[in-house]
Amino acid sequence: MAYYKKNNERHISVHTRQQSRIWGVLLSVLTILWVYILNTPIGALPPLGKILDPQSGCMANAEPVKKSFDLNTAMSGISKDSKVWYDDRLVPHIQAANDHDLYYIQGYVHATFRLWQMDMQTRAAAGRLSEVAGEKTFEFDRKQRRKGMVYAAENSLRAAEDDPRTKEMLDAYTAGVNAVISSLSYSSYPIEYKLMNFVPEPWSNIKSILLMKYMADDLTGKTDDIAHSYFRTILLPDNYNNLFPDKIAGSTPVIPEGTHFPPASLPTPAAPQEQNAFPAYKAEDFGYEREEGKGSNNWAVRGSKTKSGVPILCNDPHLALNLPSLWYEVQLQTPDMNVYGASLPGAPGVVIGFNDHISWGLTNNYRDVKDYYEIKTVKGNPDKYWFSDKQVPFKKRIEHIQIKGQKTFADTVRYTIHGPLIYDEQYNENGSLKRPLAVCWMGHRASNEMLAVYMLNRAAKYNEFTEAIQHFECPAQNMIYADKAGNIALWGQGRFVNKWYNQGEFVMNGWDSSTLWGDYIPMNENPHAMNPEQGFLSSANQCVTDSTYPYWYNGDYSELRAWRINQALSEMSDITVSDMFALQNDDYSILAGTILPVMLGYCQDINNNKYLDTLRKWDGRLTATSMAGTIFQLWWRNVYLGIWNDDLGHSPDHLLPLAERTMQLMITDTTIRYYDDRATPEKETLRDIVRRSLTRTTDSLTRKSKEESLEWYLAKNTSVTHLAKIPAFSFTGLKTGGWGNTVNAMKGNHGPSWRMVVQMSKETEAWGVYPGGQSGNPGSRYYATFLPNWVEGKYYRLLFLSPQTTGQDARIIYTWNLKPAGKE
Amino acid sequence: MRYLTTIISIAIACALLQSVLPWWSIAIASFVVSLLTALRPGRAFIAGFSGVALWWLILGFIRDVRNEHILSSKLAALFHLPGYISYLFFAMIIGGLTGGVAATAAAMLNRKR
Repeated sequence: MAYYKKNNERHISVHTRQQSRIWGVLLSVLTILWVYILNTPIGALPPLGKILDPQSGCMANAEPVKKSFDLNTAMSGISKDSKVWYDDRLVPHIQAANDHDLYYIQGYVHATFRLWQMDMQTRAAAGRLSEVAGEKTFEFDRKQRRKGMVYAAENSLRAAEDDPRTKEMLDAYTAGVNAVISSLSYSSYPIEYKLMNFVPEPWSNIKSILLMKYMADDLTGKTDDIAHSYFRTILLPDNYNNLFPDKIAGSTPVIPEGTHFPPASLPTPAAPQEQNAFPAYKAEDFGYEREEGKGSNNWAVRGSKTKSGVPILCNDPHLALNLPSLWYEVQLQTPDMNVYGASLPGAPGVVIGFNDHISWGLTNNYRDVKDYYEIKTVKGNPDKYWFSDKQVPFKKRIEHIQIKGQKTFADTVRYTIHGPLIYDEQYNENGSLKRPLAVCWMGHRASNEMLAVYMLNRAAKYNEFTEAIQHFECPAQNMIYADKAGNIALWGQGRFVNKWYNQGEFVMNGWDSSTLWGDYIPMNENPHAMNPEQGFLSSANQCVTDSTYPYWYNGDYSELRAWRINQALSEMSDITVSDMFALQNDDYSILAGTILPVMLGYCQDINNNKYLDTLRKWDGRLTATSMAGTIFQLWWRNVYLGIWNDDLGHSPDHLLPLAERTMQLMITDTTIRYYDDRATPEKETLRDIVRRSLTRTTDSLTRKSKEESLEWYLAKNTSVTHLAKIPAFSFTGLKTGGWGNTVNAMKGNHGPSWRMVVQMSKETEAWGVYPGGQSGNPGSRYYATFLPNWVEGKYYRLLFLSPQTTGQDARIIYTWNLKPAGKE
Repeated sequence: MRYLTTIISIAIACALLQSVLPWWSIAIASFVVSLLTALRPGRAFIAGFSGVALWWLILGFIRDVRNEHILSSKLAALFHLPGYISYLFFAMIIGGLTGGVAATAAAMLNRKR
């Protein structure tokens, strides 16, 4: 060492020492610059040094597999001792002394496990994603603002805060969420905050309401009024009604046929003159693009049809398949309530579930509660529009859309008597009508669905159930019910307007007062049935009633799943819960079963096609590994598009007649002109289209099968995608059968978001599964725990603790002992 | 010996500073320790790199093993790296470079003695 030092000093002259110091300074600057770069986001990249740091970066979210979730703590937000017991699936069973403490803890638990998701979903609802995601979500945000999402939430927040029950519920929940947020630091933020480089902001009541509006928009926000206006423009009325019937022939409606409806208490409003009601359009006035709809199933069977002699209730709402999951299982217990089910992280209460007395489930009702109005602005004055021969000033709402890394965008949205101008000279999009359009949506109106949730969670008998659902106005839902007294019931529930014939089926004249929405239909006249003779009730997004229902309505219905469910349930007896599991996972395609023989009939003479041979032996089940399923789906698609695309392919939203209607026409009417392909000089028949489609299908399958297997699950690629679309946090190519039109409605990115089966025995027996896990943390073993079972159609027995439990159960593995802190 | 002591000192200094300061305190730790020990620049770089790398790798591995590689595998995929170990080494290299550059800068400034 000494030698080294001497040697060193001898060789370094004053000159090189200075040089070295200059290098030292330069390197110091370089170090600072290097650190600065690693601490700064570059484009969409997060600050690299910050996230790679194993102390506080991403690895801080690597939750130890053996982590204990036990907790003993004092909380300033609660007034009495409370408990949270976690079972082996990390489902919390919350026991509190009063409502306030209960919802405070529910907020606390939601935020502990799902905070980032709650933040993102409410941002999405409010059109505030661009603040954190940048320009790529700007168009989405702008559309949300144009739809009036925040306006809608503000209206309903007033309703929720006017009721002391929901006010307390929301305030407590918000305080619980905020207690978690204020306890966090960078290292304990959910990992997505680090990767997207933003921080959580305080929760508030409106965020919970925004979440409800997000669901309302998801379920009722898509309406085909514009597309129907297009078809009305290009088709003769007879053809229109033939292709797009209000009620499809042979429908097995939600409320069974033959159910007696009392006469309407309100007279049917007189329809205005055609030219007053609807503007006239030309085909060129429309744009086109398409997105896919959603579906759900629920049913209940009476004791007379079950082996146990008590009712069984089943529900599987189909929604976008995302991680963290939309649902979070929870049990909530106070001295006057004991409820278990699926909750929405971001909102208090249980949305779908059961208590010690009743069980309930939801499917989307699909009655049209969103209408478009063309607005005539006053020429030369963008501040006013014509209504009833008068010039009326718009109410203006300026939407400030913050965009990460860019200037804030200000969008003036003009509100009319009908609602906000979603499209105007400044804003339009594919799939819309190129006119100023106002949107009138039930979701804009003040309603308090939170109160319905509050009351449902506590309902002990049928009339309490019906009182609770009075407050569920939008999104309208088919609400299935079963209780321990042996009753089953089904309501097509929501807030509906007494419409004149065809009101709102097409874009209406916004300047004529006769097109305004009129009175509400009294809710006790909403379609419903209880304990029908057939011994079961079911809904699967089909038409709500038969034609004897006295009020006119339209909607976006599909029938195939309903046909299958009703057929299956009517044939079943001595039903067990296993039978119900099987039915929820049923992948028989009633479309294939009905139309494939017809298609094969046109190809009887073709003997050298191996795909055709496969189909001839097929049982119509879209199992995960079925090759025939893939072949049929593709062939059907080619037939379907071959019939419609040349005639109707330019429709807005790419709306075409339903598959079930197409199927019916192919069987009953082989002469309609739509079979002819207008792109060719020859006149094609249905037989030509079917055979031509087969050739196309064979060609593309031959090409495809060289590279990949034709197994159905690979062809459809069911995926559960992380909300930020991070592939590493997502799951693709899941081995599932089914399709949107089978009971097991497993599509590419849509499917059964929560499968539940409840047997109303003395001790409630319930099973459930959802495609995710209780933790939203991709670094937790609880992130996607349930996914394998969900894929295989297996269920978990749900642990429903008895009222006043002390948490003594072998399945309880962690406990939170919570005591009130500080102020008394 | 001094070499090894420096490396371990840097690792410990990083661990201490990081418990109160953000990740970039590893640069401060390396800089200060290097200033005090006066290694030649090349050796200082290796000491700074190794000190931080040691700390980040040990911490990363402890967290990863307890997590049974659930998250590191996903992070590796996120960064298009071949496997969970490569993620830990990738982080180690970035941390190590930070420590290395900081230690070298200090060594250069220190050469007046």
